[in-house]
Amino acid sequence: MAAGPYNYSYIFKYIIIGDMGVGKSCLLHQFTEKKFMADCPHTIGVEFGTRIIEVSGQKIKLQIWDTAGQERFRAVTRSYYRGAAGALMVYDITRRSTYNHLSSWLTDARNLTNPNTVIFLIGNKCDLEAQRDVTYEEAKQFADENGLLFLEASAKTGENVEEAFLDTARKIYQNIQDGSLDLNAAESGVQHKPSSPRGTQLSNDQPANKEGCAC
Amino acid sequence: MDPSGPVQQLLSQGEKCVSAADAYLVQGRARVSRVAALVETETAFGPNFGFFMFGTKRMPVQGSDLTLVTVIPVKEDFAVEVIDDPSQDLLGSDVPVKVCGSGQVLTLNLPFGSKSGNFLTALRRAISIYTSQPPAEVFQPFAWLEKYELMTATADRSDWPWSGTGLDAMAAEIVTEGFEDNFADSLSFDDAASLASQQDLGDSEADGSGLEPVNVSRGGSASTMGSMMANPPSVREPIVKMYMLKEEAKYTHLKTFRIFAGTWNVNGQPATESLKAWLAKDSTPPDLYAVGFQELDLSKEAFVFNDSAREEEWVKAVTHGLHPEASYRRVRLIRLVGMMLLVFVRSEHNKFLSQIEAQTVGTGIMGKMGNKGGVAIRFDFHNTSFCIVNSHLAAHTEHYERRNQDYSDICARMQFNLTQPPLTIHKHNVVLWVGDLNYRLSDIEISEVKALIEKEMFWALMEHDQLKRQMNERSVFKDFKEASVNFIPTYKYDPGTDDWDTSEKCRVPAWCDRVLCKGDSVSAVEYRSHRELKLSDHKPVSCLFDIGVKVIDEDNYKRVFEEVIRKLDKLENEFLPSVSLSCVDLKFERIKFLEPQKKTISITNTGQVPCQFEFICKLDEKEYCKPWLNVQPSLGFIMPGDSYPIELEIYVDKNTAGRLNSGEDSLEDILVLHLDGGKDYFVTVQGDFIPSCFGSSIEALCNMRGPIREVPVARLVDLEAGSPSETSPEDSFSTLPIPKEIWLLVDHLYKHALCQEDLFQQPGLHSEIEEIRDCLDTGMPDTIPGQPHSVAECLLMFLDSLPEPVVPHQYYQSCLDSCTRFELCEQLMSQVPEHHRNVFKYLTAFLRELLKYQDDNKRDPKMLAMIFGGLLLKPKPDEAKRQNNQQTARRRATFIYQFQVNPYDG
Ligand SMILES: Nc1nc2c(ncn2[C@@H]2O[C@H](COP(=O)(O)OP(=O)(O)O)[C@@H](O)[C@H]2O)c(=O)[nH]1
Ligand SMILES: [Mg+2]
Repeated sequence: MAAGPYNYSYIFKYIIIGDMGVGKSCLLHQFTEKKFMADCPHTIGVEFGTRIIEVSGQKIKLQIWDTAGQERFRAVTRSYYRGAAGALMVYDITRRSTYNHLSSWLTDARNLTNPNTVIFLIGNKCDLEAQRDVTYEEAKQFADENGLLFLEASAKTGENVEEAFLDTARKIYQNIQDGSLDLNAAESGVQHKPSSPRGTQLSNDQPANKEGCAC
Repeated sequence: MDPSGPVQQLLSQGEKCVSAADAYLVQGRARVSRVAALVETETAFGPNFGFFMFGTKRMPVQGSDLTLVTVIPVKEDFAVEVIDDPSQDLLGSDVPVKVCGSGQVLTLNLPFGSKSGNFLTALRRAISIYTSQPPAEVFQPFAWLEKYELMTATADRSDWPWSGTGLDAMAAEIVTEGFEDNFADSLSFDDAASLASQQDLGDSEADGSGLEPVNVSRGGSASTMGSMMANPPSVREPIVKMYMLKEEAKYTHLKTFRIFAGTWNVNGQPATESLKAWLAKDSTPPDLYAVGFQELDLSKEAFVFNDSAREEEWVKAVTHGLHPEASYRRVRLIRLVGMMLLVFVRSEHNKFLSQIEAQTVGTGIMGKMGNKGGVAIRFDFHNTSFCIVNSHLAAHTEHYERRNQDYSDICARMQFNLTQPPLTIHKHNVVLWVGDLNYRLSDIEISEVKALIEKEMFWALMEHDQLKRQMNERSVFKDFKEASVNFIPTYKYDPGTDDWDTSEKCRVPAWCDRVLCKGDSVSAVEYRSHRELKLSDHKPVSCLFDIGVKVIDEDNYKRVFEEVIRKLDKLENEFLPSVSLSCVDLKFERIKFLEPQKKTISITNTGQVPCQFEFICKLDEKEYCKPWLNVQPSLGFIMPGDSYPIELEIYVDKNTAGRLNSGEDSLEDILVLHLDGGKDYFVTVQGDFIPSCFGSSIEALCNMRGPIREVPVARLVDLEAGSPSETSPEDSFSTLPIPKEIWLLVDHLYKHALCQEDLFQQPGLHSEIEEIRDCLDTGMPDTIPGQPHSVAECLLMFLDSLPEPVVPHQYYQSCLDSCTRFELCEQLMSQVPEHHRNVFKYLTAFLRELLKYQDDNKRDPKMLAMIFGGLLLKPKPDEAKRQNNQQTARRRATFIYQFQVNPYDG
């Protein structure tokens, strides 16, 4: 007998970063509410959302922090990187400047999170193909060079939104399973609920070359 | 790790934790981690015990992590029972234990192993010690537990540190609004999880993996950003459950199962006949058997000790009599004296059975003895809950009301505790009630009865059946149904024959033995008696049912479950605390030195839950705002819909003016307003500071010919940075020997106040001081306004707000050390940078001058030395705390005094 079937076994903390207006809040809203919020007010502070997802049979609660993108808040929003298990770094495919700033966002993300934090690059507003200002290929190359996961998405149509959030979780979960993410580290960004089942059926999902979770 | 150590830490003196064990408290489908402990204290009549249960936040347990949640005195109503559950007899699985007392019934799962065994042994020993002592009323032994009971009264909520969060509130709402109504159905929900729980079996060992449990930090502690509390599983669980129940139809479909329900009063006889004729008469094997016996054992042992030699042989007989074409597993056996109920299930269905529990109710003499009453077994089969009752009601033709009462008593007292809240018989989807209900035929002669039987006119005879009549009057078995009776009465025969009772009592034949049912999609297929069996004075009866059972459709279940989780996520997001701020971008204009300015913003709780807000520190900062800003209040609590004013005040004083004048700091800050358990808001505060000579350095002021307001800001910054000439637009201008502001103030005093009594002692007027400051900063008006006391205080304030004192910090200690010898003091002063030395010279000359007029101005040299010593000589701010005592004050004064009484001109 383990905990009831409705409980989640992990909590993952995510942050969403990127220039103002790239659609961070809309992505969060689309993910948590499955709705596009066209007249989303500017984020002045840090928004918060949560959703339970399932990865490899495990229920995982995502706690998502959506930060203000304005430059003047940069110093303050840096405080929120700490302890994130996943970082979604967003640019707007119709505005090249937001893409050009990625390296600075990435520097922050790398410096302020732990080495195992999964960083996912999202090229948002891919519904606006006609106004495209950044090609898929160059962004893909940027992602590859920097070891980032990458997708183009649209907070408006919902395209790839689910995928971006879930792929990030899968990658984090995989890091837990292969032992590269140490849950006991203070800032892993992952909390594990002890009363939940884990073990046998999960290891089936593991690639053969990965030794089962040693914890 | 043995938890008795941590428990002991929490006890009072003279109390001892005898034994303790890790345990899981079963609450519905949830298992909550607990520590159970037996605590002993000594009384005049020997040891006295209490059963304690603690909530835990962490494993391994430490004393500080334990919260007392339950205390039960070990007295007459205290009982411990290992629940024997054949479906869970896997070696190594947890041991389910029921602990009752003080009106509470707890189901605990103890980890398999000797530690749990020792704990149970200790509990039993405590019970037996109690029973050997005089009655409790005599010596009031449990007074020592009162303090703990008080603790538990308040612990309920604090057990989880999340009380007051959204989901909690939701839970409360649901409980008050809709839960009662859904209650009847809610039990069936447990089935919804049965599949999942089957999979969960055996995984429990993984709990000991050594992983950190979720560390529940209460959000809003001033130092953490981005902290967020998780909702407790114990709160979320019942809500999910409730929503799932509402949607049950979407993920279950009815599948028909054949169920055999039988009853036989065996009159205390041994099991000498094969039961096949009763149990396996049809070609298709039933999916489930419920077999009830009455008068299984009429011996005194059975009656008094509930011990029965017959039990085993009858169980064997039933096992052998089951349909040969299927294999069955025994689900549960329950017996109370002569009433026994057995449930068997076809092996392949076993895994769909869960939450199995058996209970008994005795209605015999004193409402207790078990010769009459009922036994029952409840379980969930797929997603449908079943309760099967076997009862033996009061005998004798005229006592039908007594039988009705037995029925009501059984219904009222039969309670199943595996689920929370506990269930009664009627809260099940399907109830099958079998037994010797003992209802007879009324108002008819025996001869007439036998004649109607002869003609098989059972319907006519039924008119006289007490049970039918009572049911029609709705006096008993309300809402139960019975298939039509088309068999010969089953009572009373001469044992071994098919002949009616020939004893002298010559009983009227009757349908004592019946099978009733209640529930949707329950239909009787075949209701009959089995005359082939002759060993008793009753004939066995059986009823075959086809019952539609709610079977979970995996895919749909998953889909609905996902929907429910989504809905809850959505609700949870909606229930996050949320506020609106009337302004998040505050702009202050024309902030002047020592002139406070205030703005008020209002914070409104726009969320659906009470919310606690707090301004929190940014990363690596020690204060939540800059030193020139003050926020009142910096934390608070607001109810939904309410507003709260927050005052923000900017006040630039001597401590902050220097850095603002020099451009090292500006009036800009971002405050982080954190909601406990929710998001953060940024409040930007900006102000433009009007630079002032107050707080400017001597060096910088010496480089300004005109008033400070006429100097461009960029130039001010340069001047303060110590680069006077490079960027100077006025190359012809050589620096002033001392800041003109000092000269203006001192010269004014020299001209107008040498004879002023109480100079430097009487305070000035605020308004005049502001005017004087503006005059110094702007050069307007031409002469210093205000009365001498205001000018004097201005001078002191000016000196006090110098970022670097007249005697620079680096000379401070040497000055104190040599304060008693003027030559040394003089020598030291010769090393001080020029402008500072000039100011010092000028001020001390003025003091000497002032003291010449002592007769008029009544100034005491020591007093003046004290005042100026404290302003001209200052330790570095960070050293000030350690040094500021009387002794250093006296030495500073002594230093200045030297220059008051000795001639000095550098
Ligand atoms: N067409 C389109 N507009 C979007 C999309 N995502 C966001 N927007 C719009 O972009 C603007 C900024 O979005 P917001 O989420 O507030 O950006 P943030 O500052 O990064 O949080 C809003 O006007 C949105 O309506 C998208 O995927 N497609
Ligand atoms: Mg935003």
